[in-house]
Amino acid sequence: MKNYYDVTVIGGGPAGIAAAAEAARNHASVLVIEREARLGGILKQCIHDGFGLVRFKEKLSGPEYAERFIDLLNETDADITVLTFVTKIVKTSGGYRITMVSRDGVASVVSKTIILATGCRERTAKQVFIHGTRPAGVFTAGTAQNFTNLLGQLPCRKCVILGSGDIGLIMARRLTLEGAQVIGVYEAKSTPSGLTRNIHQCLHDYNIPLYLSKTVTRVFGEDRLTAVEISSVDKSMKPVKGTEEIIECDGLILSVGLIPENELAETLGVKIDPKTKGPVCDQSLMTSADGIFSCGNALHVNDLVDYVSESGETAGKAAAEFNASARECIDAETNSNISYIVPQKIDLKGDLSKVVFYFRSRDILKNCKLSITLDGGVVKEKKYMFLRPPEMERIVLDFSKYNLHKNSRLIFNAEGEKI
Amino acid sequence: MKISSVNRKLKKLQNGSYAVKEIDNMRIVSGKSSDWNEIIKACQIAVSEDKNVHVVNNVKFTGGSDKPMRIPSLKDKFLDKRTPDVLIIGGGISGASIARELSKWKIDILLVEKESDLAMQASGRNDGEVHPGIDLSKGTLKQHYVLIGNKMFDRVCSDLGVPFKRCGQYVGFTQEELKPLIEAYVLKRIKVDGVTDTYIISGEELHRREPNLNKDFKFAIYNPSAGCVCPYGLTIAYGENAAENGAQISLNTAVLGMKVKDNKIYEVETNRGTIYPKIVINAAGVYADDIAQMAHDKFYSIHPRRGTNSILDKKAGGLLSSIASIKKLEKNSSHSKGGGLLHTVHDNILAGPDAVETFEKENFETRAESIDNVFDKQKNTAEKLNKGSIITYFTGVRAPTFEEDFIIEKGRNTKNLIHCAGIQSPGLTTAPAVALDIEKMTVDMLREKGCTVKRNEEFNPVRKPIPVLREMSDEERNEYIKKNPDYGEIVCRCEEISKGEILDALRSPICVPTVDGIKKRVRPGMGRCQGGFCSPIVTQIIADFMNEKLSDVRKSSDKSVIVYGDTKEGAEI
Repeated sequence: MKNYYDVTVIGGGPAGIAAAAEAARNHASVLVIEREARLGGILKQCIHDGFGLVRFKEKLSGPEYAERFIDLLNETDADITVLTFVTKIVKTSGGYRITMVSRDGVASVVSKTIILATGCRERTAKQVFIHGTRPAGVFTAGTAQNFTNLLGQLPCRKCVILGSGDIGLIMARRLTLEGAQVIGVYEAKSTPSGLTRNIHQCLHDYNIPLYLSKTVTRVFGEDRLTAVEISSVDKSMKPVKGTEEIIECDGLILSVGLIPENELAETLGVKIDPKTKGPVCDQSLMTSADGIFSCGNALHVNDLVDYVSESGETAGKAAAEFNASARECIDAETNSNISYIVPQKIDLKGDLSKVVFYFRSRDILKNCKLSITLDGGVVKEKKYMFLRPPEMERIVLDFSKYNLHKNSRLIFNAEGEKI
Repeated sequence: MKISSVNRKLKKLQNGSYAVKEIDNMRIVSGKSSDWNEIIKACQIAVSEDKNVHVVNNVKFTGGSDKPMRIPSLKDKFLDKRTPDVLIIGGGISGASIARELSKWKIDILLVEKESDLAMQASGRNDGEVHPGIDLSKGTLKQHYVLIGNKMFDRVCSDLGVPFKRCGQYVGFTQEELKPLIEAYVLKRIKVDGVTDTYIISGEELHRREPNLNKDFKFAIYNPSAGCVCPYGLTIAYGENAAENGAQISLNTAVLGMKVKDNKIYEVETNRGTIYPKIVINAAGVYADDIAQMAHDKFYSIHPRRGTNSILDKKAGGLLSSIASIKKLEKNSSHSKGGGLLHTVHDNILAGPDAVETFEKENFETRAESIDNVFDKQKNTAEKLNKGSIITYFTGVRAPTFEEDFIIEKGRNTKNLIHCAGIQSPGLTTAPAVALDIEKMTVDMLREKGCTVKRNEEFNPVRKPIPVLREMSDEERNEYIKKNPDYGEIVCRCEEISKGEILDALRSPICVPTVDGIKKRVRPGMGRCQGGFCSPIVTQIIADFMNEKLSDVRKSSDKSVIVYGDTKEGAEI
């Protein structure tokens, strides 16, 4: 490890690996800091396939997908330190001083730029207000996946899955294959949260029922979970009294949402978008703090790792090319049918030729038209059969041919039939 | 109130039949009812002005039945034929602190706790406030001990290596017109009750100190002596120091029965063998009255009262730096607690607890309405209090008597018994002082029995705590890691806990090799992800240390299986 780096990437998951490799390819000196013993992040435990369809036109498993990027990273001269945990970042004149601990002791480096690729965490049972006892047998889907796939241990024999997020669906199939009985997947919303392809491949193919507008309201069991109480919910997601049913099970697997991890970003005063829970960024994925970049699931929760890698590369390239200079930003505005958009800002002094936007609709929209206007004039229109909240959309725009100025208004309008 | 007037009042109750009679300094309430709250009311009506007289609840409750006491599945002869000088029943703050104070003497001390760890019930499920004693009047044991106990905390916590902050407490009032009344109240506390440091501050001063508290607070009572401590941390520290000084702490050990002859307990049956103690100390919390019954010495009843607390993310820690609550002048029953807000020693905010009477002694279930009630009320203490910041919540069950005071005395019929019962709030604050008195009672009792009781010359009051690396300077932390690289391997990222600290907890004087045991000692899993990332690693570290399989590691009790064994094979029952 050197004393100084152009780019330090915090987090060695898919976003961080891609960011580091791209920064190094762009001639930056790069350090990757990973807290676990191996690179790969959560992909290490994602032994199912379906990764890389967009990027490689192949169905890879998580570890295979990670391996491809790790190989690319190893071709560069980026430094990698594993089992290393960042404890503190402070701004200095030459950039940022990053303090970290590892088995070697406390160390610090100065870095001109930082890429935060810290991923996300899972929402827990208490954060969705499940009440009752506190038995063993209640797991977030990722924790259950870790026990099953990395440690080879069966976390439950007969379980209920709450939440139809992708990891929950994947775990429904995984636990079935390992001999556990999955009673059903329960979703409080009236529509599934996971990708349609996962509903088919993980539930339908294994005859696992999906129950919508139902949630777990209580758990039972003094030592190990013995049962859960399921209630129907009304339109405002409040449990309806009198609809309770008790289901005996020894496992409750929660897939009730992911929260971008931005605790380090917050210590740097980085502005957080309440909609994405990730930093507000410009098209280079630089946050409100100069020289601090964000990518992957720390930026916003993605459905496909392919886009995680893409955002890592965007941030990696921009960090390598970073030169402190004043930015002049305009907002990417949306109408109310769009729940969020990333990046939230366009820096007029940055590269305008290829701006990649990611967005999600608020509700399911049928026969939908997205029109993007700049100062009242339409710059792009796109039609969609459906826009669904679980499915992130990506659109690329070239603004170099337009005369953007600091008073310009860029608006994304999605219109369609709500169903 | 005279017995005849009590009976007249009881007749007026609607949902059951109740009658009281007074025998041997007991007011025994009998009858039948399906309404638990009314039974509580009946017993409260029966409370005597004579502090020596206690209410015993013999009313037959037909509205439900409490589950039998949880007992461990473990069965062996580990303690069979042990003849300790002192047997302490219960590993809460009372039992653990008594064991520690008794370990100053060269006597054989055995503490039995039926759960898999110390502080598993009320002592591990409260808000950790070190009370100033402002809400208690002279004449009760609670008030007597709270003033002494509070003053002992700096010394006790420094000796035991437990974090303690004397952060002060504010009781805010929105009604300006109450000020003269409250001034008189504070004056009475100072002149009559002996709380010397309490005073009133203006709303302006309050908001300068705690800017997030209700803007409508016109003035507040300030109690600088109030503080906070980690309640299970203190209990475990007391227990460990007792163990280091020679006391035996036996977990997973439940008292199942006793044989009493000639007004003396001579045999105590447990799931780990039969014990023949000289003296028994009853520190059994909600089960203290059942233990008293076993010992043929029941002269009081415990009526369980549950309370739920919420813990907020450290990110919300800036809400306040002390303890605060709102007080409105309403006819509240004297013991109902609306809780408050507290900045814990670990920099979380704790909100609660509420207080609900229950017939279930060990029902620790949480309910949505408890949290709603606390938040509805405490939003008036600090508007910014937000349910979205909750990372966890838990329920504890208090163990009050109907007199709402402690029972700290020798057995009335059974001569080798000491009761430390009815311990509820402020029982954490009073424990250091109560333990000293019980130590004295025990030593006197042993001497009366003709035993020679000598000082334990090797007694060391100081317990060396597990180092907390996240709180060290970089230089100090670096030195620790150089000596032991495990201190540099972070396992729990939310709380920044290293593998070294977890191994220290496993090597501590009372090894509790469960995920919850480690969590209570060094905090992996206490943060915002609630163990989502670290629980598989902690499970693995425990398995490696204990040289057992992952499927042998438990969350807490011996039945709380985490994983069933290798995939596929594990599915076979």
